[in-house]
Amino acid sequence: MSGRSIPTHEPQAEAEDPVTGEQGAIVYSDVHKAFGDFKVLKGLDLIIPRGKITVIIGRSGTGKSVTMKHVMGLLRCDKGKIWVGQNELTTMHDRRLRKVRNRFGIVFQHAALFDSMNVFDNICFPLREHTRLSFRDMKAKVTELLGLVGLSGMETKMPSELSGGMKKRVGLARALVRDPEFLLYDEPTTGLDPILAAAMDELIVTTHKAKPGLTSVIISHDMRAVMHIADKIAMLYEGVVYDEGTPEHFETSDDALIKQFIAGSLIGPMSV
Amino acid sequence: MITRVVEWAGRLLLGPIEELGRGTRVLWGGLSNIFIRPFRLRLIIQQMEFIGIQSLPIIVLAGFFTGAVFALQSYRAFQMFGAESMVGGTVGVALTRELGPTLTGLLVAGRAGSAIAAEIGSMRVSEQIDALDAMATDPMNYLVKPRIIAAMLVTPMLTAIFDLVGIIGAWAVCVKLLGQSEPAFMVRLLDWVDFEDFAGGIFKGLVFGTIIGTVACYKGYYTEGGASGVGQATTSSVVVASVMILTANYFIAWALG
Repeated sequence: MSGRSIPTHEPQAEAEDPVTGEQGAIVYSDVHKAFGDFKVLKGLDLIIPRGKITVIIGRSGTGKSVTMKHVMGLLRCDKGKIWVGQNELTTMHDRRLRKVRNRFGIVFQHAALFDSMNVFDNICFPLREHTRLSFRDMKAKVTELLGLVGLSGMETKMPSELSGGMKKRVGLARALVRDPEFLLYDEPTTGLDPILAAAMDELIVTTHKAKPGLTSVIISHDMRAVMHIADKIAMLYEGVVYDEGTPEHFETSDDALIKQFIAGSLIGPMSV
Repeated sequence: MITRVVEWAGRLLLGPIEELGRGTRVLWGGLSNIFIRPFRLRLIIQQMEFIGIQSLPIIVLAGFFTGAVFALQSYRAFQMFGAESMVGGTVGVALTRELGPTLTGLLVAGRAGSAIAAEIGSMRVSEQIDALDAMATDPMNYLVKPRIIAAMLVTPMLTAIFDLVGIIGAWAVCVKLLGQSEPAFMVRLLDWVDFEDFAGGIFKGLVFGTIIGTVACYKGYYTEGGASGVGQATTSSVVVASVMILTANYFIAWALG
């Protein structure tokens, strides 16, 4: 575990992030989660700094998506605590949890667009569910967001008519429609060609800059993109945060495990 | 060895209890949301159209030929005793009490129940249900409630239509095909079929509709895996709902006397 710079004590609500020096917007403290006999998280401690882009990396099956789903209450942990601001989620009732979820936007790995609705209705869905905006205002909002993600004029297309990259961008527009405090991306560039992946990276950075105060959390395997967009990187390994730091910290790390992961090498402590 | 036997017995016992618990949770999730905003009237009407109107052709066709074949066979049997006039009443009672609600339930489970399980199941595996949750929309309110309510409302209506069309089928065979006099057919029919028979059948339709909606939503909601999981959920939804309908039918018939 050389190179590990994470604190040894369990963090509390709004604890200061040791990497960026910012206040923690989301804090995981000793979080455990198992599916049957398979233990995915084994005491995860992680601070997501407010207003920054945090990227969670790690091998497939190390619990990155599970970590993300916990923060919205889509999964409940077996042990530990998770704070969003001052709200502790693990003991929270469903109704209150839904209020916390209203502060989030999430871009799913495969976009998770409703395939019975067109692009306009997909993006409008959260507005129709939770606001009393007029149709004109909703239309203006959708037009603005489709412009932001580079899909102007696509309102009437069905998800089945869109490419993978387009679906992800519609997913991003839907996630942004209620101006969330937190934006979560689950492998936003997986399955995209290098050009589209680069465009998505730019979009993430542009979106983050365009929305002051936005806290972004990204799960990614795309190390080139990670180094480009992250303010903080946390690497998960065997159910805990193995290391965390700035992109420079990871680029210059001497840790064999980190070097192997970043290089994508078959030779090293991690076996296939 | 003893530990393994206890584990095996535990698993055998816990499996059905877990299934029952999940099924009850889905039913409760649907029904407890009835008076919770948003009421989802548009979605309920959409589902009523899907389960009800779109099932009409198959219900009418099956009802007509069920009544027709039942009348044909009954006529041949009663003819041996010179009791052909009893066909109308026999078919009427059998249709309104048993055949109408049961066959309607099985047909709706096969057509609409399977489609509901497949739709919700594919939403589960493609993370669309997670997306609903993530957007602070309760999937029980948005997905489950409209489907269970629609199935509960529509299945009794389809049962009534099945009964009516089945009697028309029996009338067509007896009166038009086999030459029985119309009064002979109608007198026994009106004499033997009570309002209680019809109402009992409609009540069964309500129970079967609840079973179809709940089982389909439950199987879809807890789908695991990819396309094969959706396939399994769909098949399982039809099988479980059909067995439950046939079982419930016996107990309701016994209770109604």
